[in-house]
Amino acid sequence: MQSDARIPSRASVRIQTYLLVFLGLALVTAVELAIASLGLARSVRVPILVLLSLGKASLVAAFFMHLRSDSRLYLVIFITPVILILAVAILFVIA
Amino acid sequence: MHDATHPAEQTAMFKAGDRLGLDHLKLGMWLFLASEVMFFGGLISAFLHFKINNPSPESSLLDVVLVGINTFVLLASSLTVVLGLAAIQRGDRRGLMGYLVATIILGFAFLFGQGNEFVTLYRHGVTLSSSLFGSSFFTLTGFHGLHVFVGICWALMTLAKAARGGYAQEAHLGVEIFGLYWHFVDIVWIILFTLIYLV
Amino acid sequence: MSLASEAGATAGGWRRYFTWNTDHKIIGVQYLVTTFCFFMLGGVLAMLVRAELAQPGPDLFNGTEFNRFLTNHGSVMLFLWIIPVLAGFGNYLVPLMIGARDMAFPNMNALSFWLIPPAGLIMLASFFVGAAEAGWTAYAPLSTQTPVGQTLWAVSVLILGTSSLLGAVNFVTTVFTMRAEGMTFWHLPLFIWGMLATSLLVLLATPVLTAGLVLIAMDRVAGTVFFSAANGGDPILWQNMFWFYSHPAVYIMVLPAMGIVSEIYPVFSRKPIFGYKAIAMSSMAISILGLTVWAHHMFTSGMDPRLRIPYMISSMIIAVPTGIKIFSWLATIWDGKIRFTTPMLFALGFISMFLIGGITGIFLAAIPIDLHVHDTYFVVAHLHFVLFGGSVSAVYAGLYYWFPKITGRMYDERLGKLHFAANFVGTNLTYLPMFLAGLLGMPRRVADYSPEFTTLNLLATLGAILLGTSTLPFLYNAVVSWVSGPRAEANPWRALTLEWQTDSPPPAENFHELPVVKHGPYDYGQGIGVGGQGQTAPAVGD
Repeated sequence: MQSDARIPSRASVRIQTYLLVFLGLALVTAVELAIASLGLARSVRVPILVLLSLGKASLVAAFFMHLRSDSRLYLVIFITPVILILAVAILFVIA
Repeated sequence: MHDATHPAEQTAMFKAGDRLGLDHLKLGMWLFLASEVMFFGGLISAFLHFKINNPSPESSLLDVVLVGINTFVLLASSLTVVLGLAAIQRGDRRGLMGYLVATIILGFAFLFGQGNEFVTLYRHGVTLSSSLFGSSFFTLTGFHGLHVFVGICWALMTLAKAARGGYAQEAHLGVEIFGLYWHFVDIVWIILFTLIYLV
Repeated sequence: MSLASEAGATAGGWRRYFTWNTDHKIIGVQYLVTTFCFFMLGGVLAMLVRAELAQPGPDLFNGTEFNRFLTNHGSVMLFLWIIPVLAGFGNYLVPLMIGARDMAFPNMNALSFWLIPPAGLIMLASFFVGAAEAGWTAYAPLSTQTPVGQTLWAVSVLILGTSSLLGAVNFVTTVFTMRAEGMTFWHLPLFIWGMLATSLLVLLATPVLTAGLVLIAMDRVAGTVFFSAANGGDPILWQNMFWFYSHPAVYIMVLPAMGIVSEIYPVFSRKPIFGYKAIAMSSMAISILGLTVWAHHMFTSGMDPRLRIPYMISSMIIAVPTGIKIFSWLATIWDGKIRFTTPMLFALGFISMFLIGGITGIFLAAIPIDLHVHDTYFVVAHLHFVLFGGSVSAVYAGLYYWFPKITGRMYDERLGKLHFAANFVGTNLTYLPMFLAGLLGMPRRVADYSPEFTTLNLLATLGAILLGTSTLPFLYNAVVSWVSGPRAEANPWRALTLEWQTDSPPPAENFHELPVVKHGPYDYGQGIGVGGQGQTAPAVGD
């Protein structure tokens, strides 16, 4: 019955993950602000920024909302409208 | 009546869900969030329709730095929410309450920051009815702010219940459900910030 | 059935229906009765429209009054009748059919119902301040300029959308988490599949209408300029937001109805349903495809022309799963031992009239045809064949079919058949002439028309009078039978689905003992169900 203080408990691993995710979110936001201030061409700026924000959203959904660890049905329920609304937004803009 | 207050009946009612790894309250919340994706998506589509087809010079009045800081604030509030959940998952009621208080403060700070942005624009003559930009900007961010406000009220109710000892290590689903709503509102802001302020 | 539960079913019974009650069976009846009242109100509005149109020239009303009647006829029928009545069937039947004691969220269920009467009152109150007059489609800029009643209309529809949405959350959660033991997804009755497909649409499409209505309301009361072309706004955006919901809405109005008739054909043909999986999957396919076709309502709007053909193609593709269902139903009935009871008659009427409505829908999907018949009576005829000939027939079929289960009494079969005959003749007499009128060029939403359309309009008005009158034997039958009809047994139709394996009406807890499911819902002639034991019976040889 050796108590191994160096192996983190499941709870503290989770907390570490949350902190790392937050750090990631903060970093990406800083990067986004930097890119926005560079004055790049629209065709370059827009896809990069949109992808970065989708990345941030995915981090929050996967780790803070536990989509990674819970039933896959929740993921399907969330992703379906996201995909649908992407198509809708494009069509509403063109039409 | 049919009110199965007997615990065994209660759990038996949702056996099919258990077999699928689903909790009925969580499932209900995710279904609701799916509808909210479509609601905000509708408003965002309208916003983009106008931004792309009728761009406005008024968008240069937007304060990217202030609202950028506001974005950090809201992201931090998501962290405090999930740390609060982690706290009650190990039975730390006071920890939960502390993180909820932090969340509420950060939520108010976000709304305060948004209010500042609104007032600044108003001083430049941009209102709901002054222009298409004003209409779409204030409607979209206004509804998001409304959702944050509702979230703060929910956080207060969760805090009150935690103070009464309503949550424990084995029973804290309500905290998780609140968290799902709060994180969703944060996700919406992540998208809004990019589409309104950065691109 | 114990004396106590018998007494409870009647004593002080009717008062329960006016209270906040979380029992899904009570809520179901509340829905059915309330929405039927709105059906009759919508019918009165229709009679006013048809009275004006019986002859050319301004007879009874001026143009504004006429527009208000037709706007509210459409709005009441769609938002206060057909969508919620089908939700009412869902409320009553879903827990019973899956072997559960109630819905997943009983309080939210009660809320869903209680949002409806105030919303209805708000929509009707608009008549006192200048009712909505922009059609149920409320196109901008007309809808942003009309009097106060239009705002009330928008608020009312917002409330009804919320009710519908909460219901959908409840249905999906209930079906996923509360099925009885042995009730796998492939043993679910097809009505449940219909409700699942419907709920998918409600969840995904309603919120976009909500967003659109918010924008309309803000243009009206907050001075925003979303749909004001002069200020850079775009009326076409409203059309997109509106139809993104309202096209799936028509599937919301028909998928549960198809589920109802799917229940009825096997029972009254004494045969297993043909193509159970095909029908179930076709329901889901119609649902998903239904989200992709909305702009076929906008072919003449000035929308981006490059998008028109894709929408035409997607709209025509929906005919495939629909056709699969129709052929499966026909194959179910084929060579069966058919009992022509009232529910079966209405279900058969459904197939024939939905077919006419559906095929004319394909006509409309073809852009070259649509360009000529858009906004004519051809469209009016099409929509009434699918909604009245189709969905309403199915609702009547369901009301008769489940009447003994809900009330514990049997309706009068002869009155039922009389109702069917009058309804069938009335429907065809009212709406068939409209196809011709539309092809000949009569526009819709007009209070006056060119004299060459007189005969067709007169026929339609006569048909409408017959239809209105045909409701009377139904009302008499329903009320008198409920109060003093002969007592019904638990399973008068010898059906196999779970709601028939419990008392009529069911006890408060639905089942004395929760069922354990061993078979599919339509296994007629398979050695079970002989003694009416249903899905829970051990198979022959057990």
